[in-house]
Amino acid sequence: MNAARVRNPIFVSVLAVVLAASALSASRFAGPLREYLPADGAAPGWARDGEPQEFEGEDLYSYIDGGAEIYQEYGFRRVVVQDYRNPRGKSVSLELFEMDSPAAAYGMYTFKRSGKGRILALGGGGEIEAYYLNFWKGRFLVTLTGFDEAAETVEGLAAIGRVVDPKLPDGGETPGLVAALPAEGLRPGSVKYFKGLLGLANIYPFYTARGLGFTDAVQGRYDSEETLMLLDYGSAEARHTAWLELRTELERSERFELAKDHLAGAIVFLDGKGQCVAFREARGLLVVGIASSLERALTTVVRVR
Amino acid sequence: MAHTIGRRDFFKTGARAGLTLALGRTLAAAEGRPARAVDVGVGIGEDYGRAAAKAVELVGGMARFVPKGAKVALLPNVQSRHPGSFTKPGILREIVRLCKKAGAAEVNCLSWQTVKQWEDTGLKAVLDEEGAGLRIFEKDESLFKAVPVPGGQALKEARVLAALYDHDVFINMPITKDHAGNKFTGAMKNLMGLNSPGSNRTFHRPNWKTDPDDVAHLEQSIVDLNKALKPALNVVDATEFIVTNGPFGPGELLKPHKVVAGTDRVAVDAYCASLWGLRPADIVQIKRALEQGLGTRDLAKVVVKEVRA
Repeated sequence: MNAARVRNPIFVSVLAVVLAASALSASRFAGPLREYLPADGAAPGWARDGEPQEFEGEDLYSYIDGGAEIYQEYGFRRVVVQDYRNPRGKSVSLELFEMDSPAAAYGMYTFKRSGKGRILALGGGGEIEAYYLNFWKGRFLVTLTGFDEAAETVEGLAAIGRVVDPKLPDGGETPGLVAALPAEGLRPGSVKYFKGLLGLANIYPFYTARGLGFTDAVQGRYDSEETLMLLDYGSAEARHTAWLELRTELERSERFELAKDHLAGAIVFLDGKGQCVAFREARGLLVVGIASSLERALTTVVRVR
Repeated sequence: MAHTIGRRDFFKTGARAGLTLALGRTLAAAEGRPARAVDVGVGIGEDYGRAAAKAVELVGGMARFVPKGAKVALLPNVQSRHPGSFTKPGILREIVRLCKKAGAAEVNCLSWQTVKQWEDTGLKAVLDEEGAGLRIFEKDESLFKAVPVPGGQALKEARVLAALYDHDVFINMPITKDHAGNKFTGAMKNLMGLNSPGSNRTFHRPNWKTDPDDVAHLEQSIVDLNKALKPALNVVDATEFIVTNGPFGPGELLKPHKVVAGTDRVAVDAYCASLWGLRPADIVQIKRALEQGLGTRDLAKVVVKEVRA
């Protein structure tokens, strides 16, 4: 290194900042993920099969070809993948994802679960389905996949999950926005928390990106078949600007038709698929109710206080 | 027994079982008409090899597509090893056998994906057991051939694995499944498995899964790729496939136990989409392919024949 540069206080300051940033970045990934993997026999009868694979940041695209974007939208750090095998040749794959935050892990969990499986008391919440299991804890998301639906495979998923759970650090609350969904009649398994357009498009496509720059959002379905969505824009001003843009887009769209304007403080569109979509502004939130009738859509959006 | 699929049937939404009922209604209407060639053959059953054989038989039999002495290229889907996300080994095995029975001199799978993916899905073992070839290529642009796209709107030139052109017959073998971006993947999208990864990247603008303009660009690119590359036959795995968390899974499995065969990719994809309640009108690549004459322009005229294998 050039000695004159070393003596330059500005250069030294910049270098210090760069080194500090590097150290911070390294600490972000402190500890190998593989330390959370169950050892052979920790889940009785299940042993590691092959070496673990690890992917970090953009490398996820090489592991999940065509499906990595949703993880990136929520905020992905890294993943470790390890297969397990039992003596009768049944196989299970464990994927341990470290996300940017507990909210990201919870959101990805709600995205991946069907809501129709059996609830398991693992981490912050878990669900086991016909051949796979998901649970989240802190900023971690665990997905265990069996390669068939045999009882011993499905039992293996739960057994391995129960070994991983206590190894993961505690912490992480469900995002606060989720609590804003009215509890009465809410189907708990239907809650989806999302942080971007890809998550939204998989729940309900508006066929536009304009006016949909929310910071985070949540959806729930109710016993009477309505869907309620809360899109959070952070401030009333940001929400209002976004809503004007979204409304303009929907009015231009061939798919949506304005049904009622300013009815009970809400605006309702018909979506061309037999659904009524009501919008109401509330502080920093855009409240969206989707139902088969105009009245139900309106009732849905006025439930949020 | 053959029947046509009415437009309303294709556009029917809702319950998964609904399609069968709708088909039943048009089935009765079609009885008594003169026999027409089958556009979409569907083999049904839990023995997926037999279902595949039946589907191919319904559209004329493998000898219609594979001349004696031909070199055949196959393209199954090996994107993920999770259940319902890759072409079933039993279907690949049957197609290899049918090609050989028809007199194929050589049968090869061509891929730029990794050997591990082929091993993990069990497809490599099938090829080894059946004496078929697996030709894996590096993602090296020099191994891909520039192919002009006639009437291309988003894509003027495809870059197809050059080795494909060493073959006489190309059989496309996707699995139909969910896709987090465009909600559907089937015969048309599977061809990206032969296009170079570099070219495929141009399909994907920065917001290709979220911005409608970028999504439309991807869908048009897929349609354009299909203008440059036409399989002799499409054999689609619709036996068990993921309808959520696609294309990688794991996700909810739908199990129609069907294998779908046909030469018209648009008709085949429209049929597969309707199996899980999707409306072809809502799937941009099918809608555009219909409009641009890639296959049928009128789904109401498509003749479907479903037979239990």
